[in-house]
Amino acid sequence: MTFDVASQRSRADEEKVLDALRSIGGDISGIGPSDVPPAQVWDERKLAYRLVSPLNRRTFTVIVVGTGLAGAGCAAALGELGYDVSAFTFHDAPRRAHSVAAQGGINAARGRKIDNDSLARFVKDTVKGGDFRGREADAWRLGEESVRVIDHLDALGAPFAREYGGQLATRSFGGVQVSRTYYTRGQTGQQLQVASSQALLRQVAAGRVTLHTRSEMLDLIVVDGRAQGIVVRDLVTGAITAHTAHAVVLATGGYGNVFFKSTLAKNSNATAAFRAHRRGAYFANPAFIQFHPTALPMSGPWQSKTILMSESLRNDGRIWVPVRAGDTRPPDQIPQDERDYYLERRYPAYGNLAPRDVASRAARTEIVAGRGVGPLRNSVYLDFHDAVARLGAKTIAERYGNLFEMYEDATGENPYEVPMRIAPGAHFAMGGLWSDYDMMTSIPGLFVGGEAGWGYHGANRLGANSLLSACVDGWFTLPYSVPDYLAGLLGSPRLAADDAAALAAVDEVRTTIQALVDIGGTQGPDRFHRRLGELLYDVCGVSRSGQQLTAGIRGIQELRREFTADLRVQGDGESLNQELERAGRVADYLDLAELMCIDALDRDESCGAHFRVEHQTPDGEASRDDEHWMFASAWERTPAGGYVRHQEPLSYVSVPLATRSYK
Amino acid sequence: MKLTLRIWRQASTDSEGAFADYELDEVTPEFSLLEALDKLNDDLVARGRDPIVFDSDCREGICGSCGIAVDGVPHGPKPNTPSCRQHLRSFQDGQTVVLEPFRARSYPVVRDLAVDRSGLDRIITAGGFVSVDAGTAADADAHQFAHQRAEWALDMAACIGCGACVAACPNASVSLFTGAKLLHLATVPTTGQERARRAADMVEASEKEFGPCSVYGECVAVCPAGIPLTAIAGVNRERLRSVRRGRNRDD
Amino acid sequence: MTVSLEKAAPTTPKRRFPLSTFAAKVVMAVTGIVFAAFVFVHMVGNLKVFFGADHFNEYAAWLRDAFTPLLPHEGLLWILRAVLLAALVAHVGCAILVAIRGRRARGPHRRRALPLRTFGTRTMLVTGIVLFLFLVFHLLDLTIGAPPAATDVFEHGDAYANLVASFRRPWAAAVYIAAMLALVLHLVHGLWLSAHDLGVTGKRVRAVWKVLGFAVALVVAVGNTSIPLFILLGVVR
Repeated sequence: MTFDVASQRSRADEEKVLDALRSIGGDISGIGPSDVPPAQVWDERKLAYRLVSPLNRRTFTVIVVGTGLAGAGCAAALGELGYDVSAFTFHDAPRRAHSVAAQGGINAARGRKIDNDSLARFVKDTVKGGDFRGREADAWRLGEESVRVIDHLDALGAPFAREYGGQLATRSFGGVQVSRTYYTRGQTGQQLQVASSQALLRQVAAGRVTLHTRSEMLDLIVVDGRAQGIVVRDLVTGAITAHTAHAVVLATGGYGNVFFKSTLAKNSNATAAFRAHRRGAYFANPAFIQFHPTALPMSGPWQSKTILMSESLRNDGRIWVPVRAGDTRPPDQIPQDERDYYLERRYPAYGNLAPRDVASRAARTEIVAGRGVGPLRNSVYLDFHDAVARLGAKTIAERYGNLFEMYEDATGENPYEVPMRIAPGAHFAMGGLWSDYDMMTSIPGLFVGGEAGWGYHGANRLGANSLLSACVDGWFTLPYSVPDYLAGLLGSPRLAADDAAALAAVDEVRTTIQALVDIGGTQGPDRFHRRLGELLYDVCGVSRSGQQLTAGIRGIQELRREFTADLRVQGDGESLNQELERAGRVADYLDLAELMCIDALDRDESCGAHFRVEHQTPDGEASRDDEHWMFASAWERTPAGGYVRHQEPLSYVSVPLATRSYK
Repeated sequence: MKLTLRIWRQASTDSEGAFADYELDEVTPEFSLLEALDKLNDDLVARGRDPIVFDSDCREGICGSCGIAVDGVPHGPKPNTPSCRQHLRSFQDGQTVVLEPFRARSYPVVRDLAVDRSGLDRIITAGGFVSVDAGTAADADAHQFAHQRAEWALDMAACIGCGACVAACPNASVSLFTGAKLLHLATVPTTGQERARRAADMVEASEKEFGPCSVYGECVAVCPAGIPLTAIAGVNRERLRSVRRGRNRDD
Repeated sequence: MTVSLEKAAPTTPKRRFPLSTFAAKVVMAVTGIVFAAFVFVHMVGNLKVFFGADHFNEYAAWLRDAFTPLLPHEGLLWILRAVLLAALVAHVGCAILVAIRGRRARGPHRRRALPLRTFGTRTMLVTGIVLFLFLVFHLLDLTIGAPPAATDVFEHGDAYANLVASFRRPWAAAVYIAAMLALVLHLVHGLWLSAHDLGVTGKRVRAVWKVLGFAVALVVAVGNTSIPLFILLGVVR
């Protein structure tokens, strides 16, 4: 670890800033007292779970928000078991959830091949990949249930790629040395999502799930310390109503869109999770966000997102920048000896296939040093010239044809002739609502699944583990743990929809919406969102420094003041009004962005995707501080808008602590 | 470049709609169609006018949310490409471009360019699923599924559910969508147990809201997932098969 | 929007003719193939005109007496007529049903900007009506012998003379040739359509079906058109 005097002094300044924003709470426990090794926790826990008899199940109502892989799976599974389920999505159809966009595949620890894969190796890769900031026992559960996930989705009709012999095909993916990724071409997410949403619609047909589309959750109803319902706005009519239940499951995805330009869908948002956070649910590790190294660079002010180019491109493309900063020559006029293939130089063992966080960070280093390319000097080259020369354009077209086409669509440049330009883009949120081992948040009765939660991926997620965690949560974890909670409520009726507390929550949402409409300023919500995103990329992006974060927090607070003074919400709240939807989401993003910066400033170490420039090895690698920071930060929001940081200490029994190296 | 956008405005399902013209300045050929609308909306909001409502989400062509008819062609001038991946380079500087919602009686306009495509989900709900409960599936490696057949199943399963096929069809037929789903599930070895019932129920649901197919082939020309015309033959193949099997037999 | 998936479908009228679109399409496909087979055989018979009057009239006479005494005089002919009439009623009836359902499903905003490749499909209804009118004309001309469709010299039993006399009238020849044009359009698309209505998904079968459909339509049209042409040119007299 390289601490110089200057950075120590700045830490004192940081502490001063932090003290005004947050206080330190106590330790919390995620697993509870357990004597068994992490590998056996799931078995022990399942046996300990209370059950609800089949006849009693229909007396329990469960609300599931989100119909992505986790939400559709959970709603369908609970419906199959016989519970009364209400599912909500802001989309017009359950199939559209952003799980659909995952390309590469889904990992499973089936270990069928003789490449020496196993459940234990899966756990090791996941824990290590997450840089020892995830919960070890969760990784074991993830691996154990992964086997059934493949079987189930195969049975539901997901046409997994097959070998010529008819067996399931696998491929390898970033950060691991075995082949455990199951896939359906480049559309794995779509196929799993379609299969799961069909399973959901099967329950709708059976009358066990009531599906509410174009319905957005805007608040959580907490009565007697328990989550007992949600407040929903009908996006078409603007009607705001309370829906009550015995338990609420949030499967509302990640918050990467706080960066405005990200690889996420335009409507993916943090509102449901963040409003639960406002109601008392702890938020874990908000600063842990993964930047995908092969996204399209920002090219103009109106570009709506940083489209993701599959990681597989790095198999044949070579990444480089000019040696000289500010070199404006077109790429074909830069001779070989004036090019820096920096990944191959710095990581000879993995080269262009270094893990995502490492590759993103290296790109960022080059761009910051002025060696970025493209009109805005904000990208690096991904060059297929050598691959085309070696394999021929035909082979390259077979492998990446559709991606090249998509790239040309977006940029107007032909990647067969001109190197692609790529840049890190905000991608996956490892952080999310804090939950215990049973997926229950700090509010009893409020459960979380999929990317909205945290736990499996630590500070960095391995490729193809996100589809897996969403599927496992939805199909094979929540259907065990939610009934355990419900069993304790046997005989207690569901909160009445016209209960005073429910009506009060509805009123509160109405007031919040009206307050936004009433600002009557001059700028639409997207203008604030774009500025917030740019700011956040600068201060809380691929690399962070105490100074930047401190300035960033001030910037966000200023932007929020401007927002509350000058927001314009065009139209009214009584019809389909996308401006109003965005306004509410941006209001949450502003607070979330602040929390992300606070967490990033607070966490005085580098780990996984969280890279504090103050904490790096002499050759620029992340430097973890296990002595002081081997815990998950779980942030509690106080009614006044301040924060308390609780911490869940982490321990590693089956995977010994180690430093990641890809050299 | 400069464009005139003639856009369908309709306040709600029950109100009358009409076209309105909007000038779009300072756009470049690299703009996607939807980014052009983003910019137009930003202008409109800045001038205190209601922005244009349109559905869009992933903007990479996989979620199926977006769907705008451009000069009468669902999704736009570039064939087999969703609205989000249509770009302004398809148009001439100064051109007038007509944008309207996907048209079909089964797609009531929700507002402006957004339509209600829940009819597609009603077809799936009628039987486009597999009746296997979580946890009960057999080992996926215990049955073989030949490579080519798996690829064919995926060709059919690639549908993104955008519903452009219906809007492209002069008869508003949903055959391409229904057929793709029927053939997908008929090809996968684990999903054949309820094949006949599925075909009968899904075809019945399709006919309730959508028109008959006359093989215009327009659906195939716009389909962003490249579903082939064969899918249409799949509708009646599966339906005829269910007639042969009769009501009282599984599969 | 809380979408109830059971909500009344917006395009379902309260009263609906009790025949599923699926059944209507299958009926159209089967009857269409019957017609295609009929016009093909009919055309083959017609070509006998090139072998002279005796040969042609002999064929016409055989048609009346085929399979006697198993069938009575003109038995086969009447069976064919009954089958064809039933097929015609079913085909036209289903066509009307399908057309109405298509228009209703589409709603008030018709599809615009249809490319040229859909010409055959778009004109199915038109070519169908043309063919129906032609059928009436053709029966009046050469089967029933009712002027002005038929010539004044029409005589029952002398098929050859009737045919040649009819086609000597340039306008009548033009009507026949125009009808064949409509037939090509209708048959090419109709037969391709039938592959879909009958659920042909096999790659090779579809390819063969498509080629065969084209070939049948073309051969029928060329064969039939050659007769008025050669009569007009005076080759056949």
